[in-house]
Amino acid sequence: MISVKFDHVTKVLGQSRAADNLTLEIGPGELFFLLGPSGCGKTTALRLVAGFYLPDEGRIFLNERDQSRVAPHKRNTGMVFQNYALWPHMDVWNNVAYGLKMRRVSEGEKKKRVARALETVQMEAYATRLPNQLSGGQQQRIALARALVIEPDVILLDEPLSNLDAKLRLEMRAQIKEIHRKIARTMIYVTHDQAEALSMADRIAVMRHGQIVQVGTPRQLYTRPESIFVAEFIGGTNLIPGMLEAIDDLLMIKTQVGMIWATNGANGPARGDLVFCAVRPESVRLKRAARSGEVMPSEGINYLTGEVQSIMYLGDSEQYSLRLADGTLVHAVEYNPTTRKADVGDQVVLQIAAIDIVVLPREERGD
Amino acid sequence: MIKRLRRYNLSSANTAVLIFLWLFFIVFMLYPLAYVFSGAFFTAEGFSLIFFKLMMSSPNYTVILANSVNLGLAVTLFTTLLSLPLAFLLVRYDFPGKGLLNGLILIPMVLPPFVGAIGMRQLLARFGSINLLLLEMGVIDQPIDWLGGGFWGVVILEVLHLYPIMYLNLAAALANVDPSLEEAGKNMGASGFKLFRTVTFPLMLPGYFAGAIIVFIWAFTDLGTPLVFEYRELIAVQIFNMVTDLHQNPMGYAFVVAVIVLTLFFFYLSKRLIGGARYEMLGRGHVVSGVRPASALLTVLIYGVVFAVSALALIPHLGVLLTSVASRWFLSVVPSEFTLRFYQEVFTHDLTLLSIKNSLLLSSLSTIIDIVLGVTIAYFLARKRVPGRDVLDALAMLPLALPGLVIAFGYVAAFSATPLDARIDPVPLLVIAYAVRRLPYMVRAAYAGFQQSSVALEEAAMNLGASPLKALYQITFPLVLANLVAGAVLAFSFAMLEVSDSLILALKEQNYPITKAIYALLGRIADGPYIASAMGMLGLLLLAASLFIAGRFFGRRMGELFRA
Repeated sequence: MISVKFDHVTKVLGQSRAADNLTLEIGPGELFFLLGPSGCGKTTALRLVAGFYLPDEGRIFLNERDQSRVAPHKRNTGMVFQNYALWPHMDVWNNVAYGLKMRRVSEGEKKKRVARALETVQMEAYATRLPNQLSGGQQQRIALARALVIEPDVILLDEPLSNLDAKLRLEMRAQIKEIHRKIARTMIYVTHDQAEALSMADRIAVMRHGQIVQVGTPRQLYTRPESIFVAEFIGGTNLIPGMLEAIDDLLMIKTQVGMIWATNGANGPARGDLVFCAVRPESVRLKRAARSGEVMPSEGINYLTGEVQSIMYLGDSEQYSLRLADGTLVHAVEYNPTTRKADVGDQVVLQIAAIDIVVLPREERGD
Repeated sequence: MIKRLRRYNLSSANTAVLIFLWLFFIVFMLYPLAYVFSGAFFTAEGFSLIFFKLMMSSPNYTVILANSVNLGLAVTLFTTLLSLPLAFLLVRYDFPGKGLLNGLILIPMVLPPFVGAIGMRQLLARFGSINLLLLEMGVIDQPIDWLGGGFWGVVILEVLHLYPIMYLNLAAALANVDPSLEEAGKNMGASGFKLFRTVTFPLMLPGYFAGAIIVFIWAFTDLGTPLVFEYRELIAVQIFNMVTDLHQNPMGYAFVVAVIVLTLFFFYLSKRLIGGARYEMLGRGHVVSGVRPASALLTVLIYGVVFAVSALALIPHLGVLLTSVASRWFLSVVPSEFTLRFYQEVFTHDLTLLSIKNSLLLSSLSTIIDIVLGVTIAYFLARKRVPGRDVLDALAMLPLALPGLVIAFGYVAAFSATPLDARIDPVPLLVIAYAVRRLPYMVRAAYAGFQQSSVALEEAAMNLGASPLKALYQITFPLVLANLVAGAVLAFSFAMLEVSDSLILALKEQNYPITKAIYALLGRIADGPYIASAMGMLGLLLLAASLFIAGRFFGRRMGELFRA
């Protein structure tokens, strides 16, 4: 199994730095994701590994071998293209066998390996079809088989599921993960779909403006984002503005709607810093509707009050939009919503556990 | 500098090829043009506008200039009037036999107009078939002057020859208009002609002008047709006559410059009228079809219109056909006796046989050059970041706007007293002139092919271990082959029937290509016109076959080749 290393890699395309001083290590056998909005440089990074771009600065290593100036056809990578790039003038078998022909694999061996690759993607029956006789999902599998068959050092997938419909996409996620487990090879997977990345990845690098913003496991990225960009890009997030008042066992943040206590702060915040308290919608608990004349609870920590602006029923969950006293909009999600907690216009109390809050420096918001 | 060039990611082989391309364009396009300009503006005493003053002050010359512009405008106008209803009916309505009618409309393209002129002359001359018929029937007692001193004869022939090009462009432009935009117009309360004027036609304009400018330039600078009609009051004919005594009379340079300037002016005008707008059709998602089934009555009407237009357009062809099989045709409505003798003579007569051999050789060589240059240029344009990409693109497309007349004249002048002198051996210059003239078709055809076959297909091959050359050869080449064949077929057949360059550049009989041989035969009294017609019919068959083949490859996108 092969490791992949970016060592201060920069690539300029036109006017923009599509890769800007990238440094990254991908471990042997990892299913590694490059995640980010379009134009963030994730595809550029992938193409740098394949050799379609040569770095302007820095170096790329496969297993400690410097590959920076090696031509694409001399690197042993298997790429799955976004539009599959199946050759329309060759049938499925010849598409898959192409890489083996280039490697001058013997006839018998070739037959065996093509058959095995087609079997891996469950497409044995389609060997004589032409690509335009296949559905999108089938083409996708053939593209995968074509990359697998050469037993590449690293498999590169460029938004492989983006052209499939939602249901097929879910099926293919599971299949690709299963294939990764079976063949035990390093895979680099580019996507802008955070759900895809969270559900499949061993580790994820979130990219923006050609740079890596944060690297971590899906759980780390979701529960401990280190920037507003990551917090907002992966899953929904509520941001409540405030100022860091004290650092003790807990962080104490003074906000316009009262004190908020939190356990975690990214990048070692200091007293007096302007910050946001980032909270996932599912961590916001709606206490109950406050009837007129009823006394609001004032004990305990992180109790806030707000007014229900709108409610969206989604079947498995119900989303509430709440307006806090200072005007901040907060979303809350109730799962398995058997009864409605409040109606539009109601005053409600919401509570957030200190452990569910991440305190983030107040930089510029995401784009 | 090195660092800047590295951005382009070109290998040294690529760079060498690029340099060669630039040299080719400089030597065979820019240099002759520059030579013509310097000939027009510099005398032995230095810079001078004397030739242009002469041109403007001589009523004779200004009339000639005006005639040529009027010819171009008239042909553009009439082709538009003829093609617009055809395009509208055939694009918007569905009816049985639509494909057939589409083909029928294109047929007139297969005849070079100056060959058609031979047939027209037989029919419309003072004592031609039509006058004789009318006289016999007693409708008239004096022959009518149909050709109006030649001008209208040229207009009629050009219109009947060129309206298919206009039709192709208008039909493509109309088909490209997203029907939902028209529906939006209807939704806002427009309908009928108002809808056409405010929504449909403005959206068609870019496509229209792209075709109209080609038609205009073609008519404006056509040499063969007026020569056959012996209508000499046109700038093209004047230039042709001045080629031979260039050294004594430099007015030729000034006329060529006038042609270039006027061509560029109208080119600029057509682009200005579009306003630089290329409307991207935002037809996303479900695109409604704007095609309606035609009622029985309308179907009959459509057939009537198309048949009428085609019948009109085929008159010259009929004339040529009749002439080619007539053993005598003089002062009678139809030939009095028929024979196939002249077809036989085409292949035995020294001049015709030689000219066929010459044309085959010249056209083959020029087509090979076109394939090599066209594929290379298209590849660079489609797949590489090259310095000066836009200039390269413009140079490759320039021959569309550059009349063959100008190129040929420039070659004769610029390369006289060099190893390429056309007076000594015209073959190299003829080959290059043919190649340059048809290069845009080849570049477009190949470029379209490269665009259709995604670059990811090549990358996939390289990713799996194919070298760049191998990927090009095994993946891209088979995918664009159809386009290359179609482009080459067109380039070859147009070269076979190239008129103005052949007339100007082939100065000695031993080097005459087919078109010049036809022209020379027309001047011979005895059986010259009959053999010329027979040869014209053979040329017609060749062009018809090539267009049929190209049409099979390109399908509906055929129109894209004939636009600027």
